[in-house]
Amino acid sequence: MADRGADEPSSRTGSPDGESRVSEDRWSLHQRLAIRELIDTEVSYLHMLQLCALDIRSRLKQLPQGDLDVLFSNIDDIIKVNSRFLQDLQGTDAMEEKQVQLIGNLFLEFQEELERVYKVYCANYDQALLLVESYRREPELQREIQAIIEAVVPQAGPSGLSFLLVIPLQRITKYPLLLQKILENTLPDASAYSVLQRATSALQDVNTNINEYKRRKEVASKYTKVEQLTLRERLARINTHTLSKKTTRLSQLLKQEAGLVLRTEDKEFDDLEERFHWVSLCVTELKNNVAAYLDNLEAFLRFRPQQYDLDMPAGPVGQYCNLARDLQLQAFPEFKRRLEDLVGQPLSSLAKALAGPQNLIKKRLDKLLDFERLEEKLLEEGSVTYEEEEARHTYQALNSLLVAELPQFNQLAVQWLGQILGTFMALQRDLAKQVLQRAESSLAQLPHHHLSEPAFRKLVEDTLGQTGHQLRSFQENFEKVLTPPTVQPLLPGAERQVQALLTKYGPGKLYQVTSNTSGSKTLDLSLPRGQIVALLQNKDTKGNSSRWLVDTGGHRGYVPAGKLEPYQIVPREEKLRVQAGPHEDSRHPTPEPTPALVASVPAGTQVVAMYPFVARNSHEVSLQAGQPVTVLEAPDKKGNPEWSLVEVAGRRGYVPSSFLARAPSPAPWGWSLPS
Amino acid sequence: MSWIPFKIGQPKKQIVPKTVERDFEREYGKLQQLEEQTRKLQKDLKKSTDADLAMSKSAVKISLDLLSNPLCEQDQDFLNMVTALDTAMKRMDAFNQEKVNQIQKTVVEPLKKFGSVFPSLNMAVKRREQALQDYRRLQAKVEKYEEKEKTGPVLAKLHQAREELRPVRDDFEAKNKQLLDEMPRFYNSRLDYFQPSFESLIRAQVVYYSEMHKIFGDLTQQLDQPGHPDEQRERENEAKLSELRALSIVADD
Repeated sequence: MADRGADEPSSRTGSPDGESRVSEDRWSLHQRLAIRELIDTEVSYLHMLQLCALDIRSRLKQLPQGDLDVLFSNIDDIIKVNSRFLQDLQGTDAMEEKQVQLIGNLFLEFQEELERVYKVYCANYDQALLLVESYRREPELQREIQAIIEAVVPQAGPSGLSFLLVIPLQRITKYPLLLQKILENTLPDASAYSVLQRATSALQDVNTNINEYKRRKEVASKYTKVEQLTLRERLARINTHTLSKKTTRLSQLLKQEAGLVLRTEDKEFDDLEERFHWVSLCVTELKNNVAAYLDNLEAFLRFRPQQYDLDMPAGPVGQYCNLARDLQLQAFPEFKRRLEDLVGQPLSSLAKALAGPQNLIKKRLDKLLDFERLEEKLLEEGSVTYEEEEARHTYQALNSLLVAELPQFNQLAVQWLGQILGTFMALQRDLAKQVLQRAESSLAQLPHHHLSEPAFRKLVEDTLGQTGHQLRSFQENFEKVLTPPTVQPLLPGAERQVQALLTKYGPGKLYQVTSNTSGSKTLDLSLPRGQIVALLQNKDTKGNSSRWLVDTGGHRGYVPAGKLEPYQIVPREEKLRVQAGPHEDSRHPTPEPTPALVASVPAGTQVVAMYPFVARNSHEVSLQAGQPVTVLEAPDKKGNPEWSLVEVAGRRGYVPSSFLARAPSPAPWGWSLPS
Repeated sequence: MSWIPFKIGQPKKQIVPKTVERDFEREYGKLQQLEEQTRKLQKDLKKSTDADLAMSKSAVKISLDLLSNPLCEQDQDFLNMVTALDTAMKRMDAFNQEKVNQIQKTVVEPLKKFGSVFPSLNMAVKRREQALQDYRRLQAKVEKYEEKEKTGPVLAKLHQAREELRPVRDDFEAKNKQLLDEMPRFYNSRLDYFQPSFESLIRAQVVYYSEMHKIFGDLTQQLDQPGHPDEQRERENEAKLSELRALSIVADD
């Protein structure tokens, strides 16, 4: 370069050649200067970044970590990228001729990375500024911060933090300008020119993209929140502006429906939206179904049949009770807990995440209607107002945001669903393993554990059959504790009544009521237990043989046959004397009242008369108590079980069957106990 | 047991020895408790199995709904996973039904049968009680005559009363003896009766959970590789949530 400089004066004097060389030199000088500026400013930029990130940030101890993250965002990433960039940039110095080209290539190389790190920082910058503002409102804090900054970076001035934080923004926007300057001072036919050109436009693109990214983020954060508004708040929001917005959209929609206006068909977006819709459906359904499953599990765990061990704490019953208790206290609650934590909870989070995209999709549709209307207006009038332009941009931002991110969302959601389902299956397997371990150890202690399942089932079936029989026999035994075929004591004061009935009807017709009857139909009698009645008819007028007509001595009516038992009289000495009349040899002791059944005594047997009996007509024969009697005809032959034809003391005649008893002793009463 | 309003009154003599009465009440008491326990056990078992069936049905619904989602048409992997899960759930439901049927047959039915004996027992005890009342009444009557001046008519009445008393007393004694014999036997019969049922109950669990272990074991082999421990699964969930939240379209709250 020094040579060229020395040459200059000589070339100034003359020819166009010289002049062009002069301008060439001047260009190259400016180029060099521009390059120098690029590199030098990069050096100081990086230095400043490092001061911020290292010195200042570490000294701002009074601020919480969350604040520091917001303020400084991803400055570390920026430093990393720019350090490498600077290194390579400084490396081009040695290349002399090719430097410009190398610089161009370098920028192209770094384009993507620069965009990636700077867009994050830029998008976050507004929030950082808000924080800085909030600090400014606290004078004490503000002074402290200012002091720290001034100690490290004296040139920061009174605006301290905001001055420092804006530096990366300034830098990234400066790159295109710096490149432009170099470009201006490069000959169009130089080999480096096209590269440089591309680099310049590349950096301009970077800036455009960063802005677009920032706008998308703003739009997203504006519309993703589900606002919980009360009715009052919603009403308060309605004003002419919102109303007109909504009516305009509605009319646009109607126009579309009516076919007056073309709907913007966006197949790509529609497909995306459809898939998102299915994903939402899947997530919501699964969440609800899992919740229902957990509810049922909880209900299941509420019942504890194992608390009833039927007083058999040992053996299989005890085994079962222990097993069930174990399962209920450990295995199942653990399963439930894991299910809630690893399946239920993630599903809830996933379901919540659906809200953002759902809102944005809705908003996009609204904005689309606006957009379409404005497109019409643009066509008709050729221009739109500033606000309308904004509205168009909002729609475009929303649309591009959704198109960019919905596919990712869908994919992540489906992947996560897959993971969750995998966990669900694993939990089922683990539960089964837990239960099986415990149940198998219980099984090993059972008496028949060695049997195969089919063999065991057969065994159980057979056993239950047998024990079923046994149960039935128990039941029968208990039922046999019947109303005894015995004389029930008379109700007090009933003796005279009984005598009256006896005289009127004869002993065979007397029955005793075994349990209280209560009549429901007409002519039914309500009689207490123990009442003596005489049988008139053993069926009612309709032929129903379980309803008997009886005489109580006072009333006549019906009682259930099942509640009547034949009545055995206990004879009394005085009455005997009165009745017996001439046959007065009843000095022997009162006959033993034997509570025998009214059993039919077979013909030909020798029996003993239990009670004295006075024959009232020629067909009957009188008896004395204790007399031996031969039964000639068994009662049931003639169809009248109450009278037997007997021979006694040479005479023949009928006597009441109930007055007879088998000799020598009455049949033992009671029932055989089952073996 | 002894506050029946009589006109004649209570006998002075204690006709049933205290020990006998105590034994009777003890045995009957045990049986009454057993009755209640069998009833409650039956009820709880029913409720438990109903809840079990409901759980199984809701598990089937999980996979059924997944299968009917159009995502399955678009995504082959998803379809495979969901189909496999559905098959597993349906098989498990069938096994569950079988388990419940087995329990019904070998536990619930026997419980019912056992319980059906109790009404007869209770009736028998009531009848003994009635006999006891009659016995008491007649005993009191006899005592009344015994205390009176021994005239002819009184003697006759006394004799009569004693005659009436005898069969009634015998009746009561018999009933008492029978029940005192039968009740403990019935009580002890529960051991042999219920052992098989409870064995069956345990076995039914083993059969069912063996199937469940096998089915889900195969399933996880196929679809949940590698099987991670809980902490790792939690981290995976956190990671997915963060990835989602990183998207601008997802609201952060």
